[in-house]
Order: sequence, then C-alpha cells, then structure tokens
Amino acid sequence: MLYIIGLGLGDEKDITLRGLEAVKRCNKVYLEAYTSLLSFGLSSDGLSTLETLFGKVITIADRETVEERADEILSEARVSDVAFLVVGDPFGATTHTDLVVRAKKLGVFVKVVHNASVMTAVGVCGLQLYRYGETVSIPFFTETWKPDSFYEKIQRNCMLGLHTLCLLDIRVKEPSLESLSRGRKQYEPPRYMTIKTAIEQLLEVKQNHTQPAYNEDTICVGFARLGSEDQMVVAGSMKQLLTVDFGAPLHCLVIVGETHPVEEEMLGFYTLGGN
Amino acid sequence: MCFHLFWEQVSTSFFPHVFGRPYIVYGSGFVLLTVWDKMNCKEPKPFSFASASSTFTRSVSNVVVKFTVDGLRRIMDYKHNIRNMSVIAHVDHGKSTLTDSLVAAAGIIAQEVAGDVRMTDTRADEAERGITIKSTGISLYYEMSDESLKSYKGERQGNEYLINLIDSPGHVDFSSEVTAALRITDGALVVVDCVEGVCVQTETVLRQALGERIRPVLTVNKMDRCFLELQVDGEEAYQTFQRVIENANVIMATYEDPLLGDVQVYPEKGTVAFSAGLHGWAFTLTNFAKMYASKFGVDESKMMERLWGENFFDPATKKWTTKSTGSATCKRGFVQFCYEPIKQIINTCMNDQKDKLWPMLQKLGVTMKAEEKDLMGKALMKRVMQTWLPASSALLEMMIFHLPSPATAQKYRVENLYEGPLDDQYANAIRNCDPEGPLMLYVSKMIPASDKGRFFAFGRVFAGKVQTGLKVRIMGPNYVPGEKKDLYVKSVQRTVIWMGKKQETVEDVPCGNTVAMVGLDQFITKNATLTNEKETDAHPIRAMKFSVSPVVRVAVQCKVASDLPKLVEGLKRLAKSDPMVVCTIEESGEHIIAGAGELHLEICLKDLVDDFMGGAEIIKSDPVVSFRETVLEKSCRIVMSKSPNKHNRLYMEARPMEEGLAEAIDDGRIGPRDDPKVRAKILSEEFGWDKDLAKKIWCFGPETTGPNMVVDMCKGVQYLNEIKDSVVAGFQWASKEGALAEENMRGICFEVCDVVLHADAIHRGGGQVIPTARRVIYASQLTAKPRLLEPVYLVEIQAPEQALGGIYSVLNQKRGHVFEEMQRPGTPLYNIKAYLPVIESFGFSGTLRAATSGQAFPQCVFDHWDMMSSDPLESGSQAANLVTEIRKRKGLKEQMTPLSEFEDKL
Repeated sequence: MLYIIGLGLGDEKDITLRGLEAVKRCNKVYLEAYTSLLSFGLSSDGLSTLETLFGKVITIADRETVEERADEILSEARVSDVAFLVVGDPFGATTHTDLVVRAKKLGVFVKVVHNASVMTAVGVCGLQLYRYGETVSIPFFTETWKPDSFYEKIQRNCMLGLHTLCLLDIRVKEPSLESLSRGRKQYEPPRYMTIKTAIEQLLEVKQNHTQPAYNEDTICVGFARLGSEDQMVVAGSMKQLLTVDFGAPLHCLVIVGETHPVEEEMLGFYTLGGN
Repeated sequence: MCFHLFWEQVSTSFFPHVFGRPYIVYGSGFVLLTVWDKMNCKEPKPFSFASASSTFTRSVSNVVVKFTVDGLRRIMDYKHNIRNMSVIAHVDHGKSTLTDSLVAAAGIIAQEVAGDVRMTDTRADEAERGITIKSTGISLYYEMSDESLKSYKGERQGNEYLINLIDSPGHVDFSSEVTAALRITDGALVVVDCVEGVCVQTETVLRQALGERIRPVLTVNKMDRCFLELQVDGEEAYQTFQRVIENANVIMATYEDPLLGDVQVYPEKGTVAFSAGLHGWAFTLTNFAKMYASKFGVDESKMMERLWGENFFDPATKKWTTKSTGSATCKRGFVQFCYEPIKQIINTCMNDQKDKLWPMLQKLGVTMKAEEKDLMGKALMKRVMQTWLPASSALLEMMIFHLPSPATAQKYRVENLYEGPLDDQYANAIRNCDPEGPLMLYVSKMIPASDKGRFFAFGRVFAGKVQTGLKVRIMGPNYVPGEKKDLYVKSVQRTVIWMGKKQETVEDVPCGNTVAMVGLDQFITKNATLTNEKETDAHPIRAMKFSVSPVVRVAVQCKVASDLPKLVEGLKRLAKSDPMVVCTIEESGEHIIAGAGELHLEICLKDLVDDFMGGAEIIKSDPVVSFRETVLEKSCRIVMSKSPNKHNRLYMEARPMEEGLAEAIDDGRIGPRDDPKVRAKILSEEFGWDKDLAKKIWCFGPETTGPNMVVDMCKGVQYLNEIKDSVVAGFQWASKEGALAEENMRGICFEVCDVVLHADAIHRGGGQVIPTARRVIYASQLTAKPRLLEPVYLVEIQAPEQALGGIYSVLNQKRGHVFEEMQRPGTPLYNIKAYLPVIESFGFSGTLRAATSGQAFPQCVFDHWDMMSSDPLESGSQAANLVTEIRKRKGLKEQMTPLSEFEDKL
C-alpha cells in the first residue's frame, strides 16, 4: 500500500491524525523535498524533529528519485506499506498525479491523506476562494528563457474580475542549464523566488503588451511562510510591495481582481499603512 | 627605377639562414640594410622620403638604405596606391622562389643566389622540407615612372606604390593559412607551373579566392624548364601555355560576378605573365608590345593582341594573317616575337657565343657591366635575362595595373565582409575605405611574439584608423549583436608594423593596410572584428570559411606528469597560433589535437613542443580519424519521449537531408544568420522544400551552424515558443554527440511532429525539456537506420608511366579508387586523381614512395564524407566494430545505449 500523505504548511505538528497513524503503520517513509518546503526548512534538525515525532527513519526523495526512480518506491509499496510525505496537500503539486497513475498501472493500492494547501490557505487574507481564477506559476527568468504564458492567464482572470494566485518558483537541486547541455549533472544552489523578484518579472513582462492587465498600482497580497507561526500577509500596490521585506521563503502572491465589500474589509487589516 | 623594400615578418622565427650577409639594425627609428651585391648597383641616385629625416644614399660597392618609419607610414595614407596581394599556388610550383626574385631586385638578396634562398621561408623546418608552412608577408616599395603610368586609367596619388605581398603555403594541409591571407588581401598572383599546369591546390585556393572576391592575375612559371630541360619548340610551348591559361580560366569563368567583372586572365590584356622564378626573369606581353609597337607602327594594345592567339606573321611577306599560311617562315606572333628571341638569347648564352651575344643585346638596349661580361654559361644567361626582363618590374607592374587598390576592392568586397545591413555607416565606411569613418578591423591571425606566450593580433584595417592606446570593442566569432557574449572592450597597447625582424611602433594605421596589435591576445582566440568602443550597433565582419576541416586527431600526454600545466598552456597557445587546429579535452581527460592532415599535425606537435612548451617531452597516440553519424532513411515511426516529470511529451522523426544540403550548410550558403526569405528560396528551388516549411527551421547544429537541423512540423501547439530554446539546447548537445559513438551528426533533419506540454510554465522548463529533447533526438536517429560517415581525401598523384602499377596497387590495398587518369600533354607524366579514406592515409606517402621508388608524390585534400554501407546496429559488422572501438577510446560504455532508454511508450 502506498500512502500519499499531506503534511500541511506549517511545522511537523500540522500532520493530520489520520496521516500520523498511517505513517506509524509504514515500513518506509519518503519525504518529497522539491516541490515545496516545510516552514522549518530542510535543516538536519528539521528532519530529525519529524523523525522523533514519527519514530521512523525518513528518506529524502529529491526530484531525481521521484521522477526517474519512482519504480523503486512503487515496487516497495507492492510488498509493504510505504508512506510518501508531501508538503501541503498531495495534489497541490501536480507532479504526483503521475505517481498515482503509475501505481495504479502496477496494481499498487494508493491511499491519500489530505491536508491544508497553499491553494486554500490564501483564504486567510479575506479574498473568497470562489473568486479565484486559474493559478499560475512564475518561473525564474534567465538571459534567454523568459516564458510569459502566465501573463495571458492573468489577463483572462482580470477580464473576468477574478483574483490570481501566483505560485513562485523554487529550485532545489536543479541541474544548471549549462550542465544539462553538456550532459553532466551539476546542481545549482537552491533558490526561492521572493515576492520582490516576482513583481519585477511581472512588470517586465507587462512591458511587452500594449494594454497591460495590471500595472504598478494594481493591488496585490503578498504571503510569506503561510501556515507557520510567523506568517506574514501584506496587501498593497505592486509598487508598495516591492519595498517590503518578506523575509525567509516560501513566498506567494495574489493579484486582486474585483472585490466584494466584505473582502475589502478583510484586506484592510493587511493593507500597508492601512486604515 | 627606385625599388625598395619594407618588410614584414609574419612568422615566428627570425631567418638567420637567409642572411649570410650583413644585416644591421640600428636603434629605434630606422633600419639599415647593407647588402654586398655589387651587381645590383645602379648609378648613385638620391632616394628620399619627403618627411624622412635622413636621406638615402647608395655607394658603388654597397647599398645603404635608410628607411624611416615615417616614410613608410606616409604611403599608407595613399589608399589608391596600395596593393594588398597574396601569392597562391600548388605546392612546389615556385611561389616562394618567385617571391624571392621580387625581393632580390630590391637589393636584399644578391641576384645570383635569388632562387636558391627562399627569403620568405623563415623557419628552419620550412627550409629543410623545402615547403612553406606559415604565410609570410613582405612590403615592397615601388616607384613607377611617368612613362609607364601613361596608360594607367585608375585613380592614383603620385608614382609611389606600396605592395604588401603575402606568400602563403602551397601544401593543402596548410590551406587555413591561405584562407587567413586571402581575407586581408584584395588581389592574388596565381603561380602555375608551365608544365604541370593547374593542380588540385591551385584549384582549391583559386576557388576560395574568387569566393572572397579576390581578383587574380596569373603567372606561368618555370619557363626555364621549356628552354633548358624540355627544349620544346615555339609552337608546342605556345600550346602548352595556352592550355594552362585555359584551365585556369575554366575555373575562373564559373564565378560570374557582376561587381567584380570578368575575372578570367588574358595574356593579350596583360593579366598573364610568363616567368622563370629560379632565374629571376619574367615578362608580360606589354614588355614586348612596347618593343615592337613602334616598329610596326601600331599602338601597344593592338600589338599585344597580335602577340597572342591566332595571329601569324611572315617576315618574308611582312604580312599578318589569322591563319598559318603554311609557309616555313610564317609563325605565330607569340612564337615569332617573344618565344624565339628569348630562346635565341638563352641558347647563345649557354653556348658562350659572346661575339654573337653582345650585338644582340645592344639591339635590345640591354647593357651589361664589364665584370658581368666575364660570366659563363648558366650564370651569364641568368644575368643577361635578369637585366633584359627583370621579374620584379614585369610582375609588380602587372599587379599595379591589374590588381585593385583597397579603395577599389572594398567597394565590392563589403558584401562578402560585413554581416550587418549593407547601408549602415559601417558598411559605407568599408565600401569607401574611409579613414575618417568608424574603425572596422578584422584580425585574421594570431602571431606568436618573441617574448614567450604573447601574441600579436594581425589583421587588416577596412575602415577608420587604429592607433596606439585606442579603446576597441572586440567582437569574437560567437558575438551576436545586442548581446554581451564574446565581447570585450580593451585598449590597444601598441600598433606595430614590421620592418625587417624589428617591429616598429607607429602612431596609427589607416584603412587599407595590414597591422599588428599588442595587448589584445587574451581576448581574441583566433580571429575577431574590432571597432571603436562607442560603436555598439556595429555588426562583426563575417568569419572565415576554411576549405579543409580538421579530420585527423591525435591524443597527447606529457612524458613527465609534472609537465601537465605546460601542456595545457601550450595547447591553448597552439590553438591560438594556428587558424585551423582544434584542441579539446575528451570526457576521459585526454587532450586531443585535431588538424587537416598528417603533415599539419606533425608541424603542430613540433610547434607545441618547441615553441609553446619549452621543449618538454610529450607522448602522442596514433592518429585517429573523426567520423560523423547520419541516417539512411526516415524514422520507421514517430518516436516519443516523456520529460522526467512525465507531463511533457515530444514527438519527433529523423530523416536524411536532401543531397547537397549538408554541403550547402558547410559552405555557408544556408545558415542560421540568413534572411529567412532567401533561405526559403534556396531551399524550395534547389532542394524541393515546401516554402512554408523552410521558414520553420528552428536551428542548425552542432555549434549552431552545423549541417543538421530541427524543423517544426507541429500544428497549433500552444506555448511551443517557450520550449523552443530548450529543444534547441538539447539538439546542440545531441548533434554534437550522436547516439552511436558520440561523434558529430551530419545531414540529419529532425522534425518535431507534436508536443504535449504541462499547463504550467514551471513544469516545462529547461530541466524538463532539454534532456527530453536529447532523448527523443537519439530515439529518432536510432529508428532511421543510423550510419557512419567516414572522411575521404581526394588524392592527386603525379608520376611517370612506369610508376603507375605501384600507385594502383597501393591505392587498392588502401581502399582507394582512381576516378581520373590523364597524361599531361607534352610530358611523360601522368596525373591521377583518386578517393582515399582518410583513415587509410596514414603512412600513405611513405608506402607510395616505396612502391614507386620515390617517383610518386601524393597531395591529399579533404573532399567529402562517405557513407559506410554496413549497419552499426548489427553486431559484428564493420561499422559496429568501429563504433565499439571509438566508444572504447572515448571511455564510454562499449555497448551502445539501447533505443528503449530513449523512447517512451504510451
């Protein structure tokens, strides 16, 4: 049996009771460590906190393990119980649907334990979850690679008056492009996109369009370390948010669409220099 | 005639063996040349440069020349009076010897030894082998008389001319030197042996020259062989010369270029000279026409026409006819008036019939010095001919009259040279050879300097001026306008010209001239375009295309492990000093040197050890040959690969390119920087492509210019542009290291059939798509009947009939095949052309010499890639064995990676 268990957003204590029981039942525990990050990070004691709580040894599964060696995990799951821990909700990060598909094909039973995800936790700022449009990711731009397809999606959301949740790129143990083209694997140091970078890139992309969907004065909400004790939520114009230091990762950003009076009231609590 | 010499040493070493005579260099400012040649002395005549601080004097027993840098610098401003030209020919057709006789007239080498000295072969190994390896430059100063300039129609500034002459190697292995020389010259003196005619290297270089829009003039050399060795009669000689000229014209006629005009050469127009480099004499029909014109009462140009072609004269009837009348006294104009008088003089000299000789010479207006009259036989003949028909004036006048000045040449060469729009200020400055315009300078060569490890950047100024201290923008070969890659801004520490072995610093060098610069060597690998710092919108000058490719490689390592840093540094310098050699490090850590042929590699290794590593010993492997990977058919199915996260799928097919397309890409006719419309036109008209498809080429590779490409065949895929760069990156990697043996791919067209992408940009980034593109490319290669290509040389062998048997048997044994065998008309020599796999060419010359008792000399030049018919995927086949061998050598797994590793199934 393969248990895919959501860990929630904050620290080790966010695991659900059902999840904890499942972990304790398992012989082998993997922690997926590249699509997101627990707020206490991947430091050695962070991992050991989890291990103490579960009373189990945890194996870190990086991108290569999950993408290229998933068969190993699955073949273990055929004969015993294996837990696959995912930060947030198991299906918040899309890549894991592939794991389920492959497991089903191999005849491995899969059980999913849900948890809170950034997709729902952004509700804290008061914008109604019903009023969100398509979620976009903002990747790190490089000299040559500047994908801007997210712009069209934001534009569509804006036209419909919907809010847009922007997930910001994280690069953990990513091979550098240069090494990829040479065929050797060398990893870049881990990087996490800050709200500042995201807004800069958003504004850069906007310049290529004549009737921009947003501008410096568009109201946004920035979130840092959602779900943890020191989470930070700040609302303000893009220009204002550029000056805010949100501190440690992870960050995400919501571009505000048309608002309901109650939404505005809630937002007011977070607005910079607000009323 | 004042005729002097500045010279330019475009090579590593000095030439102690050249001068057994005094050559004195004084402190800065001028060079003093002292030559002991009393033969060479004319009556004392002051020679002066207007701005020169000291005057020039000659005395009776020696020549003292004082050149100031200022004097040389002054002529450099007369852009109409400069001729930049290269001397090109097949190996051993007498190029260097002919160059000597030009220099001899300037009084540096005694005329008696001219022909034996090889002034421009400055390296000990060049002298030893009797061939030229590095190109060498000499600047000649020539003053024309008003009389001789009377018929000159072009623009000129006074009578002084500066002729920059570059002697380049004739051996095919060193053609890259020729390429570098051609780029910086505007005209070419093509030297052809009157007996051997146009050979493979003459043809290769001539085509290259015409491709660069270099105007040629021809000299039919080694005339002395006709008179002394072969003793042919006039009519037969005429036929031979006619054939040689015709052969050259056949090649030139294929280059129709409205801007350059007719590039064919005609003796009757004065663009063909007849020379005997060894004896230091030469003539054009102009010389003879001048002699006879008054006698026949016609003008010179009319006379010249009569001296060539179907014009016969019968002294008995004193009538010109266009056909031989059959009478014994009726002879062709050329025979009657040029060939026979020379023959007569030569024979009279050789037979020491001095009583007959002096009156004849007097008639010709040739006066000999008293002491010269004591000479006998050959020495007398040489001396007489040199006085009567000096090679220097015939050849130099031909160059001045018929080769273009930089001002003329750059008008049409700008199209070949400049990559950017042809109407911007840079193109205009090049076109007008404008010294006031922005600097445009092409560095064609890096020349090792005498102080260890430094290089001069040598090149030609096409526009503007370069001066000491100037801040320049250095655009390397990989520079793309608007980007920062391969771009530096640095100061020129010194601008230098060569005077003798001494480099003289000059304040500045204006356009139309060659220059060497100090202080840029760390920023230029092999060549580059320089412009002013502020000219940020300038495009670079087009990179040179080499006619040969580095297909032979050796691995080197040092004998003593602690020499490794020396080796690494030495390889870097070697790569810099030779335009063609490629030094790389293999996956296995081996250092590889790739060159054009065995000889080229041998010279490279010698330079490496002696000049760049201070004599540290190295061990070299047996030479190995580069292969290419290609496909025979279209992939048997559309193959698919999934990205690591399985959310992106690429579908692709491989197919062989149309015949000739890979070559067109090699030649640069089709490439990444073309105008897409022009490219579409060529592709649709010549290769039968659909016009729309031709616009969908994503890229070429490897190295973005190689003969493989990716074409987008997708219909309506969203966000395709976002992954294009990643696919291109994967393709560059894959086309460089094919699936069979990690050799370069060649002639494969990859068609992207369909793409399925993840909805979110983060999940379809480079990390996901680059490896997937590579895998799908390999999968499509492996499903399209992959094959190996091996490089094949065209070998030309000249040998007498009795050696033919030996040649055929050696060629058979080496998998070669003969495709042409021709007897050289009028000689017992046969000319054989054959194809020979490069891999079989190692030791070929040796075996051939042994089998023919030294009578056959092969010239190998890379010709084409030949497909090996056996299937590399079928174990035990010849190709499969080769693949295993290459993989083993490269330190790869011996077994090829199976298709299932690259292709994903749904």
